[in-house]
Amino acid sequence: MAKPKIAFFDFASCEGCQIEFTNFGDAATLELLNHVEIVEFREAMTETTTGRIDIALIEGSFTREADRVRLQQIRHRAKYVIAYGACACTGGINALKNHQDDFAEYVYGGDARMPHLRSGTAQPISAAIKVDYEVKGCPMSKDELLLVISNLLHGTEHVIPTYPVCVECKRRETICRYDEGDHCMGQVARAGCGAPCPADGIPCEACRGFVDDANLPALEKVLMERAGFSQKRAVGKSRMFTANLRS
Amino acid sequence: MSDDLRAAHENIFLPREARILHTARPTASEKHFTLQMADGEPLDYVPGQILEVGVMGYGEIPIGLASSPTRKGSFDIVVRTVGRVSTAINSKEVGDSLWVRGPLGHGFDLDSLKGQDVLIVAGGIGLCPTRSLIQYILDRRDEFGRFLLFYGARDPLQLLFTEDRVEWRASKEIDYHETVDRADVTWTGNVGVITTLFHKTTHLDPNTRVVICGPPVMFEFVIKELDQLGIARENIFVDLERRMKCGVGKCGHCQINDKYCCIDGPVFTFAAIQELEEAI
Amino acid sequence: MGYLYLEEKDFAAFVDALIAAKRVVGPTAKRNKFVYEQLASADELRLDFDVTILPPKKVFFPPAQDIVRFGEQAIEGCIAPVDTVLLGVHFYDVKGIDMTDYLFRERKEDWNYLAQREATTVVASNIQAISPRAFWDSVGAEVKPKGHDAFLTKLAGGCVLETLTPKGEALAAFGAFRDATADEINAAQQTNDSVMGQCSEKLGYTSEAIAAKVRDSFDNEELWDELAMDCFSCGSCNTVCPTCYCFDVKDAWNLNQVSGSRTRYWDACLTREFAAVTMAGGDKENFRERHQSRFRHRFMRKTAYLNEKLGGPACTGCGRCSQACTVNIADPVRVITAIMEVGS
Ligand code: SF4
Ligand code: SF4
Ligand code: SF4
Ligand code: SF4
Ligand code: SF4
Ligand code: FES
Repeated sequence: MAKPKIAFFDFASCEGCQIEFTNFGDAATLELLNHVEIVEFREAMTETTTGRIDIALIEGSFTREADRVRLQQIRHRAKYVIAYGACACTGGINALKNHQDDFAEYVYGGDARMPHLRSGTAQPISAAIKVDYEVKGCPMSKDELLLVISNLLHGTEHVIPTYPVCVECKRRETICRYDEGDHCMGQVARAGCGAPCPADGIPCEACRGFVDDANLPALEKVLMERAGFSQKRAVGKSRMFTANLRS
Repeated sequence: MSDDLRAAHENIFLPREARILHTARPTASEKHFTLQMADGEPLDYVPGQILEVGVMGYGEIPIGLASSPTRKGSFDIVVRTVGRVSTAINSKEVGDSLWVRGPLGHGFDLDSLKGQDVLIVAGGIGLCPTRSLIQYILDRRDEFGRFLLFYGARDPLQLLFTEDRVEWRASKEIDYHETVDRADVTWTGNVGVITTLFHKTTHLDPNTRVVICGPPVMFEFVIKELDQLGIARENIFVDLERRMKCGVGKCGHCQINDKYCCIDGPVFTFAAIQELEEAI
Repeated sequence: MGYLYLEEKDFAAFVDALIAAKRVVGPTAKRNKFVYEQLASADELRLDFDVTILPPKKVFFPPAQDIVRFGEQAIEGCIAPVDTVLLGVHFYDVKGIDMTDYLFRERKEDWNYLAQREATTVVASNIQAISPRAFWDSVGAEVKPKGHDAFLTKLAGGCVLETLTPKGEALAAFGAFRDATADEINAAQQTNDSVMGQCSEKLGYTSEAIAAKVRDSFDNEELWDELAMDCFSCGSCNTVCPTCYCFDVKDAWNLNQVSGSRTRYWDACLTREFAAVTMAGGDKENFRERHQSRFRHRFMRKTAYLNEKLGGPACTGCGRCSQACTVNIADPVRVITAIMEVGS
C-alpha cells in the first residue's frame, strides 16, 4: 500500500503548532515517515501540491470569509481533516477578540485601521468545513497528534479523555499549584496533554478547553479563596482559551 | 522457569488466541463468529459466562458466550458494531484471530434451573447470551420442565439467529414466541412490546424459573408481569451489562454499589439486585 | 525475628550498602513536599517526612503499567519484578499496602501487582512529622498494620529495627547492627505510642457506627447534593488514595505501528465516565451520571462497602485526599462528621 499523504495548512495562528511538530526530533519523525509521506509543510519544506491528500492537518482559526474557499478546497482534496491546536479547534486565543471591540487600537495603535488587519470573528475550522478529528492544545499536544495519526493508520479513532488535567497531573506526582500559593485550572481543563504545565511549575491555563461538565462556580470559588483572585479576575481567568465556548 | 513458578505468575490479563472458523452477518450491525482456541484446548464454560474479546492495539470488550458448552469443539459470540473495539473485531474474517480471556464471571445457576419450568425473556441483542442457555436446555431437554422462550426485537430486520428461530418454531421441545415493536410489510407475526407475549401462552406455574436479558427499560415491565404471575424474585435471573474492563474483579468499572458485576455477575437473581440503586 | 539497634553514625552506611545491592525506594524531598523515589544515596532519604504526595502503592501498582505487549504475531506478559527495599513507610500506609495486597490477591490473583509486591521488602518507620490533614489516629483502629517486613524507629543517637519476617531479618547483614537492649525497645515503643492522639483532625465515631450511618444516608439526596456541590469530578481524591486501586486499560501502537502495548492507568470513580457503558445494543448509559452519586460512591467505598473484606474501613486516615482536593470537600473527617450529625 502506498504511504498515506499528509499535508499541513495554516490559517490565523502563530504557527507554533507546526514548530511543535518539528520538535518530535529526528528519531520519531523518521519512524513516522516510514508510514506517511509529507507532501506539504511550509515550516520545513517548500514544495506544495494540488493533488489528493489523505490527511490534511489544519492549524489556525477561520477568521476571514475569504478563507472559506481555501478551506473548502482542502476539504475536497482530503480524505481526513484534522484540526490541530487551540486556534483551529475552538478559535483559541484569537477568539478573545470576539468579545471585545477595541482590541485593534490596543494592539496596533495608530496602524489599527490598515486594511490587511481587517478580520472578522475568530472561529474554529469546523465553522467552515467538516472536521474529522481535533488535536487540542496551545500548542497542540504532539503526542496526541501522533496517537491520532497512528489510530488513523489503523483505521480507528483516538479517544480523548473526558476527565480533567488533575488526573494526569496527580499520576505524575506534581506538587499542586495551589500548594505553592499559585492558581491552576487543571480541575476543569480537558486532559490528554499529560499535564506538562504544572509539572514545569506553571498553572494549567486550560489551553485544551474545558471538560464537558466543568464546574465553573467552584473554579471561581477556588481561584478567589485559594489563589486570592478578585472576583473579576476569577471570572475572566477562564476565558483565555474558551472564549468561543462561552457567552 | 519451573511449572510451579509459571503457574504462580500467571498473568490474568494475557489473552489467548482464538481462530475464526466461521462468520455470519445476521443483521447489518451484528457479526456472528464461531471460534476455536488456537492451542486446541476446549473452552470450559457455563451458559451466562462472558469472554473478554479483543484485537491487540484496539482493546477488549466483554461479550456473552452465545453457544452452549454441550456443543463441543467450538464456541460462538455475536458482536454488535458500536465502538472502537467492536468495529475492529467485526472487521475480522475466517482465518483471522481474536484474542480472548475467559470464561469469566458467574453464569446461570444451572442447579436451580434443573427440574423446573424455565422461561427466557430476551430483548434485542439480549438473545445472544441467553442462546447459550437455550442450546444447553435443548441439548439436555429431559433435565428441565416446560421450556418457554419469548424474544422481542425493534423491527424484523433486527431479529437474530434466523435458522435457530425456524428450528424453535417447529420444535415441540420449546414453546417459542416472538414479537417486534414495529412491523414491516414482510412481517406477519406478533406486533407489540415483549410483555404482550405473556398473553400468547397458557398459564405459567408460579414456580417457573425466569431468565431476563435485554435493555434495562425492558426489565421493569417484565417484572410487573412476573409479579402478577406470583413468581418469586429469587427465581428471576437477570443478565446485566456493565463497562467491564478487566473482567476479573480488579479495575472497578463494573461496580454496582458494593457488587462487582464481572465476578458477582453478570447473572444475578433479581432479589439480589432489586435494592441496588445503580443496578438497572 | 527480634529487635536490632544501629548507631546513628552507622545509618548512612547501612542505607548506602542497601542501595549498592538493591533498588531502594524511600521518601525524598520535592520542594515543600515529599515523594517516594528510588534513592541514589543515603542523604536523599528523608525519614522526617510527614506524608508523601502519592502513597507507596505506586511501587507495586505504577500509575501506568504495561500488562501485555504485542508484536505482529505474538503477545507476551511483562511481569518483571525488581528486588526492592521500600524504606520508610508510615503505619497508615502499611495498612494501605496490606489492603491493596488483599484486593489484588482475592478471587483472581493479579501477578502484575503481586510479583513486585513479593520482590519488595517493606520497612515501616516511625512518624517524625505529622501532616496537618492526617487523622490516622482516629480511624479504623480495628485494622492493624501488618504485612511489613521490619519496623524502624528513630531514637536519639540511633534507631531500633524490629524484624518481622525473614526478608526483614536479611536487612541486618547490610549494617553494623547489634541486638537492641530492653531500654531501647521500650524507648522505641514509647516513641511510636507518643504520636497517637497528635493529629489535628479527628473522627469521633466508631467504624461500625460510621458504616451503618453512611449506608443509611444513601438516599439522602439533599445531603449528598450539598456535600458534593463544588466537586470538579477531578478524581484527585482517588488518585492520591493508598486504598484506591481502580484502573483503566488502553492499547497503543509503538511508533513502528506494528508492535505495541496494552497498558493500565490509575483511574478514578469520581470522574464522569467511570461508570459509563455502551450497552451491547449501542445505547449509552451512565450508572453514576451525577457528580453527587460519584462522590457518594467513594464514601461508600471508603467507609462501608469493603469493610467486611478488609476488617475495617478502606481509609487509613492519611489525609491525602483532604490535601489534594482543591475545593476542600473530599476530607473524610468533614464529610463523615456531617453525615453523622444529620438528625442527631
Ligand atoms: S496543579 Fe492544577 S492540574 Fe495539578 S492537581 Fe493541582 S489543580 Fe490539578
Ligand atoms: S496542562 Fe493545561 S495549559 Fe498545559 S497543555 Fe495541558 S491543558 Fe494546556
Ligand atoms: S480516603 Fe483520603 S484519608 Fe482515607 S486513605 Fe484515602 S486518601 Fe487517605
Ligand atoms: S473509591 Fe472509587 S476509585 Fe477508589 S477503589 Fe473504590 S471504586 Fe475504585
Ligand atoms: S471531591 Fe475534590 S478531589 Fe475529589 S473529585 Fe471532587 S473536587 Fe476532585
Ligand atoms: S470489569 Fe474490572 S472489576 Fe469488573
